[in-house]
Amino acid sequence: MLQILIQGFLLSGLYALIAVGFTLIFSVGRVLNLAYGAYLMLGGYAFFYVSQTLGAPKLIGVLAAVALGALAGLLKHRLIVKPLKGEMVPVEIATLILAVVLQSGVILLFGDSTKILHSIIPGVWRVGSASVTFNILFATVVSWIVLIGLYLFIRRSHLGRAMQAVSMDQKGAAISGINPDRVNMITWAISGGLGALAGVFFASYTQLSPSMWVAPLIIAVAVVIVGGIGSIIGTLVVAHIIGFMEIISTTLIAAELRGVFTMLLIIIVLVVSPKGLFGREEIH
Amino acid sequence: MSLTFKTLTGFAVAGAISLTAAAAFADIKVGFIGSTSSDTGLSTLRGAEIAIKELNAGGGVLGGQQITLVTADTSEDVTEGIKAYEYLAETEEVDFIISGSIDDVSLGWLPRMVEYQIPTLDTWTSYIGIIDNLVNDYENYKPYFMNIASDEALATLYIDFGKDVLADKMGWSSVVILQEDTAFGGAINGLVSEALAPNAGIEVVDTIVYDVTTVDFAPLFSRAQDSGADFIYLISSVNSQVVSSQYVKLQVPMGMTGVNVAALGQEFWEDTGGAAGGISTLSPVPSVGFTLDPISQAFVKTYQETYDTRPKFPHFNGFNAYHGLKQAFAAAAVAGEFNNTTWVDAMLEQDLKLDLEGQPWLRYAFWKPGEVEERTGRTYPHNARFDITAPYDEGSPSMVVIQWYEDGTNAVVYPEKYATGEFKVPSWVK
Amino acid sequence: MTGLMTWRHAVLWVLLAAGLLALPELVSKGTLRTAIFACYVGIFAMSWDFLSGRTGYISFGHPFLIGIGAYASAILSYRFGVPVAVSIPAAVVITIIGSTLFILPALRIRGSYFALVTLAFMELMYQLVQVIRPDLTGGTRGISGIETLTRGAVNGFYLAAALTFVIALVLWLLTRTRLGAAQSAIGMDEDAVTGSGLNTTKLKLATFMISAAVAGLGGAFYVHYLGSIAPRALFDINFVFTIIVAALIGGAGTIVGPLFGAFFLTFLLEYLRPWLPGAERYFVYGLVALLIYMYQPKGLFEIAAKLRAGLPGGGGLR
Repeated sequence: MLQILIQGFLLSGLYALIAVGFTLIFSVGRVLNLAYGAYLMLGGYAFFYVSQTLGAPKLIGVLAAVALGALAGLLKHRLIVKPLKGEMVPVEIATLILAVVLQSGVILLFGDSTKILHSIIPGVWRVGSASVTFNILFATVVSWIVLIGLYLFIRRSHLGRAMQAVSMDQKGAAISGINPDRVNMITWAISGGLGALAGVFFASYTQLSPSMWVAPLIIAVAVVIVGGIGSIIGTLVVAHIIGFMEIISTTLIAAELRGVFTMLLIIIVLVVSPKGLFGREEIH
Repeated sequence: MSLTFKTLTGFAVAGAISLTAAAAFADIKVGFIGSTSSDTGLSTLRGAEIAIKELNAGGGVLGGQQITLVTADTSEDVTEGIKAYEYLAETEEVDFIISGSIDDVSLGWLPRMVEYQIPTLDTWTSYIGIIDNLVNDYENYKPYFMNIASDEALATLYIDFGKDVLADKMGWSSVVILQEDTAFGGAINGLVSEALAPNAGIEVVDTIVYDVTTVDFAPLFSRAQDSGADFIYLISSVNSQVVSSQYVKLQVPMGMTGVNVAALGQEFWEDTGGAAGGISTLSPVPSVGFTLDPISQAFVKTYQETYDTRPKFPHFNGFNAYHGLKQAFAAAAVAGEFNNTTWVDAMLEQDLKLDLEGQPWLRYAFWKPGEVEERTGRTYPHNARFDITAPYDEGSPSMVVIQWYEDGTNAVVYPEKYATGEFKVPSWVK
Repeated sequence: MTGLMTWRHAVLWVLLAAGLLALPELVSKGTLRTAIFACYVGIFAMSWDFLSGRTGYISFGHPFLIGIGAYASAILSYRFGVPVAVSIPAAVVITIIGSTLFILPALRIRGSYFALVTLAFMELMYQLVQVIRPDLTGGTRGISGIETLTRGAVNGFYLAAALTFVIALVLWLLTRTRLGAAQSAIGMDEDAVTGSGLNTTKLKLATFMISAAVAGLGGAFYVHYLGSIAPRALFDINFVFTIIVAALIGGAGTIVGPLFGAFFLTFLLEYLRPWLPGAERYFVYGLVALLIYMYQPKGLFEIAAKLRAGLPGGGGLR
């Protein structure tokens, strides 16, 4: 029981971090960024290259990853979202194509063999039959800090409020003197940075591979569908529902059905409550 | 819509016509099918390249003709594999195909091989189901050869390892099986769990089947520990890096051995960032840490002089491709050409015995149709001739067990004859 | 000629048929093989277009429909020895019923959520096929050695081309009926359609079932062309990518556009092979698709129309 609790909280924290950047863009930019998983891939590989191949300190690696992610977000906004005028369907399609292009780009640069990252912080802590790596513990703590910080940022800061305003009503925001284009651009950059950061942790927990963008995308999609878009608290809560469901189903029910339960949850929630359990459209 | 329609039709037809100009005619064409961006695929490709270079340098084949190699990348995608086979067969019209495909890709193009009847040698997939096709429908499948021991033979020899080392030496009597949910995993699991208890006296106390895309093994390792077993038997052929690195990162306090495909290459240490110590796995021969005979050693030397990108050391299928391609051409010399009749007969007669210091070490030959392997009591037509009974003089052993140590070195630990090191559990296991 | 089809259209359709019929005389067998794949991708892209291109309900899970048809026919014929003449129609029926049961609740979801739920369906199918009854589905390795309908490139091409032609014609004719008009209206403003008293749910359901029938039919023929089936070949995001991009590059909402998009992309990928044998091929292929899409989201169809409009004497589209 204790083991399920510990492992559930650790995994859920990571899932929340993965999903939050996705929900941010969905809420402010009103588009699904299907290349979101690629931020995680870029972040993971950037960290691998800087820290493991070049041997730079890990902090530099993390910073490089976040910077690359933010840059990718900016570029995506500039080169794809703006030319397509932020229209939902074209952006979704274009980001899907982009994700596939990035995947082949990674294969060209790094080959398609799987790579494992060093633990960011090595060490293990044993609680009963559960082993807790300092790595995942660190990831979870950082994830909570980032989420709380983001929550306060959106609630308290000027820019955060502008993002809130844009997510509620783009035109209304523009009338009240906010430049929605600029807010959108910054949101894309933040989303990219968050995605890349999540990627470093996700990859240090699992692996680096050119197809690693799909799994986190599905996680993000699941969290966003079940939680409803826009809600940071909702993201956090639902990440825990999905994380715990995974841990419970693998430990107690059948490990091979892990993914099936998540998909069923998505489908049931969509059918019963299409806007998700915490659905409003604006970020809050 | 009218004119666009016409324009596009014209465009399509014109495009198609302009591209019908056939490629320059070559003497003898060999096709490679596999992924050109994976270590696995590259091992086969490079093994074939070296063999072809040597054959060409030695005056050519079949009356002095030169061989050209055509590469068809599959990206390990099943549909692309089918397209690649069609491309080799109909656009390039190759005489012989060498494959470094993974299981489902091979199964994907297999119906095309049946249709075109092009002699084809598989060097990586070990799926017994393909050999079963030859057992059931020999006439249609007979251009197919597989020069790696099939998975069933791997599992059978592994049982001996269980008895000799895990039970007798380590004193283990119970196991928890951790199986990736794949057809390969299911097959190996069935064989191992049925045979371990009666033959090695090791009881299977729990079986955990997990989804291939599992990212978090912490709950699974907890379950394994709670089962109270002495060790974990891992069967992972697709996503092995994650499970092995998490085993090391979580310092799971019990031994783990089994099938771990990621650990088969020399790059395993580098790829896992050193988080690989204590992992052991069965491997087809010649594996990492395997003492090589002079001929295979010479191949590795050429390989390392020729290529400086990964894989820096060929995987077992690179050896299979190198020796197998030469055998295919030796058979073609006997038959006069590549075909689905006399060449097949000549290929079945190929027998390369590689000795090391006067004793039989490796052997490249094939089981003939109808020939029964004594221990399993079944036939393995066109499968690599393996030997699963010590002293392994009748063929190559179907597998060896290799061990990665915590200092990054590796060794073969079983069978005794090939051992260069000792089976060890990681230092954190009490 | 009726209002459904003008003489001019009829001539163009006949020309298309003649072009397809003549192709085996003009090109090599290797090229025909590529054309066969292009035909099947074309069928899937048209099926996608009929649903998503016209109504705006974007399906990211089309392989779900294709997969039901393909697996149904493969299992019936390979495991139970059902003749293909029976297993293919059965597969179509199974696809329609099965997918309708699944999708029915999803049809009241709009926009991005519909796209997401279809993506979830595909992932669910991918997982289920491997776990549930692997003795039937073949699990992760799938099934190999399924009965094929034809042998040789020429026969395979005639079959695929005939199927493609018939499907294209039928779907195109359907878009010219009242159903087609209503579809486009849904795509533009669903609320207005509801407001005008039409039952959009019925319309959407009909559209969906037709799309599913085509996907199931295409999937069943496809599997009997390939001779093998594996979950990784079908329920894969790359397969979704191929279908959707073919439809969009060709020109969504036009039925015939996606067919040409499929030919363009399949041949692009195949003709890159001799120059870029490795992974570079997919990079270039994806990049070309992205650039065309960014340049003109309405696809080649629109690009060609604009070129035509720019020429002297050029008329408008439609």
